[in-house]
Amino acid sequence: MTITPITIAFFIMAAFTLGGSLGVVTNRNLFHAALYLVLALFGVAGLFVLLEAPFLAAVQVLVYVGAIAVLITITIMVTRRIMGVTESVNRQWPLAAGVSAIMAITLGFVVLDRFAGKLPVAAVPGDNIVRLGEALVNYDAYLVPFEVASVLLLAAMIGAIVVARE
Amino acid sequence: MQLPILESINLMAVLPVLIIAGWACVLLVFDLLIPRSRKHWTAWLALVGLLGAAVALFFQIGHFARLGSEAAFDGMVTVDGFSIFLQVVFVLTAIVGVLLALDYLPRHGIERGEYYVLLLFTTIGMMIMSMAADLIVVFVALELLSIPLYILSGFAGMRETSEEAALKYFLLGAFASSFLVYGIALTYGGTGTTRLTGIAQAVTSDALNLPLTTVGMGLLLVGLGFKVAAVPFHMWTPDVYQGAPTPVTAFMSVGAKAGGFAALIRVLVTAFPAIASEWGTLIAVIAGLTMLLGNIVAISQSNIKRMLAYSSIAHAGYILLAVAAAQRSENASFAIGAVVFYLLAYALTNLGAFTVAIAVERDDGTGTEIDDFAGLGKTRPWMALAMALFMLSLTGMPISGGLVGKVFVFQAALQAVPGDPLLLAVVIIGVLTSVVSAFYYLKVIMVMYMREGEGKAVLPLALKTVLAATAFGTLVLGIIPGPVFQMAQRAMLK
Repeated sequence: MTITPITIAFFIMAAFTLGGSLGVVTNRNLFHAALYLVLALFGVAGLFVLLEAPFLAAVQVLVYVGAIAVLITITIMVTRRIMGVTESVNRQWPLAAGVSAIMAITLGFVVLDRFAGKLPVAAVPGDNIVRLGEALVNYDAYLVPFEVASVLLLAAMIGAIVVARE
Repeated sequence: MQLPILESINLMAVLPVLIIAGWACVLLVFDLLIPRSRKHWTAWLALVGLLGAAVALFFQIGHFARLGSEAAFDGMVTVDGFSIFLQVVFVLTAIVGVLLALDYLPRHGIERGEYYVLLLFTTIGMMIMSMAADLIVVFVALELLSIPLYILSGFAGMRETSEEAALKYFLLGAFASSFLVYGIALTYGGTGTTRLTGIAQAVTSDALNLPLTTVGMGLLLVGLGFKVAAVPFHMWTPDVYQGAPTPVTAFMSVGAKAGGFAALIRVLVTAFPAIASEWGTLIAVIAGLTMLLGNIVAISQSNIKRMLAYSSIAHAGYILLAVAAAQRSENASFAIGAVVFYLLAYALTNLGAFTVAIAVERDDGTGTEIDDFAGLGKTRPWMALAMALFMLSLTGMPISGGLVGKVFVFQAALQAVPGDPLLLAVVIIGVLTSVVSAFYYLKVIMVMYMREGEGKAVLPLALKTVLAATAFGTLVLGIIPGPVFQMAQRAMLK
């Protein structure tokens, strides 16, 4: 394997993602865990950049790092009772760790089995964002999921109002 | 003359969904104009929309009996006998869901117009689920089915149990959805497509895809197994069924389950025929476990909603057995017919049983113990008789739809892979657990007739109508199942 700047960047981003994720599940302070989550989400955004998907990277930063992480932090801050919780309440974590390990090994194995030694696929020519936008409104592409998602968001919005108004 | 684009979009094929979706949005605006004391107008308007969809479906039945199947939106959705049959079940369930809520919501002081709008939205999710021909559509439809249900289970927000139900359902549901998405991602990674037919071709044409798609299929199974409440993904069921307002429980115990099974069958049979014996084995094992756990734990329940929750887990096991029987393509149409017939029989019976539970329930949410049914045999003889019929049908006793459904399921499993020891073993488990289930279903009948009690129940006209209709349907399916089963047989995938 030749080491190029891209590979180095990949390993840095991968370290961010994995390290951040480990921080989320091992940290006992909920607030610190949320901060680690931001790091992990940021690493994923970096991976999108390396995959030449700048739009997805921007969405990742805006939606996940921007909106969702902020939402989680604010929720933790206004819920004073869980701010101070530092001891673990999950007694079944060894079992969960075992199941997760089996899952990780299986997933790693099948992905490596399929893609190891494969050359990277050439980037899709043309403007990706335009193609994505067209696919969402084209009847022979993803018009149905797009429309259903819009109904879904409407339902979620009504739901949020119903819950909040109580 | 028709434009070629309109032909390949084919709006007529998805007309029932369009009617309900459009009506739900209109209803949202109407609801603002309806004064707070007249919220039952929203309910009647919701019924009008559902009846409109039912009329559209009625015309489609004749149309598709001639044509077989039609694709819409260039193959993103498929409308065939299978989806039409299930859409009929969903629309009927939604109508019952509205009728059950009509008196329940004001009685419990939780009447709000949003209930009916959210009910229509989740119904659309179920309907799209039954016609999805693409994994992305399966995912968004599943979310559209789930999210309004999370809200509806917490609709009695001032009761702690309802709040707990909503939160539990939401957290575990989101967790299960993530498995589904991961499964879709792996399948897409292996095959390069999310179309169900495309996946089937890619798996057979390139053996390299096999491990990746097998694991992807397994993860999809986890996500959908959660929706249908199969063991070991059933943990949420008892708490959510018990805590949610009873009309919501009735609606989701039938609708969400049928929606999950619709997607399960479509995905497995259409996309993964190459690994049919693998998923067949997996599902048969899950089916056996689900029947055992559901039926055995149900025995010790004293709350009617909790008991029906475990009963719904158990029935998911019987339906899964028929799904496992669809693994061989020659047997698939009989097995799928058995699944949809069972779903219809279960829908009628279960909605009826919950109607009785609603009638017995008191305004403060208590009165859901089985002991509260004492004395009903004397005070409400007709209602007690109907409840007895539903309990017998859930057990699988003669002259009820439940028995016929079970016979078809076992027959489908026995002729799927002749001499297969696993399927035979699961069928034996199914028969034995049916006998066990008699214990807790008959207990309800015993309490109603043999024990002295107040036997208080509130039975307004809407509930009476539902009760009569579901009892009639259960009897018809039990005595003359032929015509409906023939329709179900034709309800195969195209």
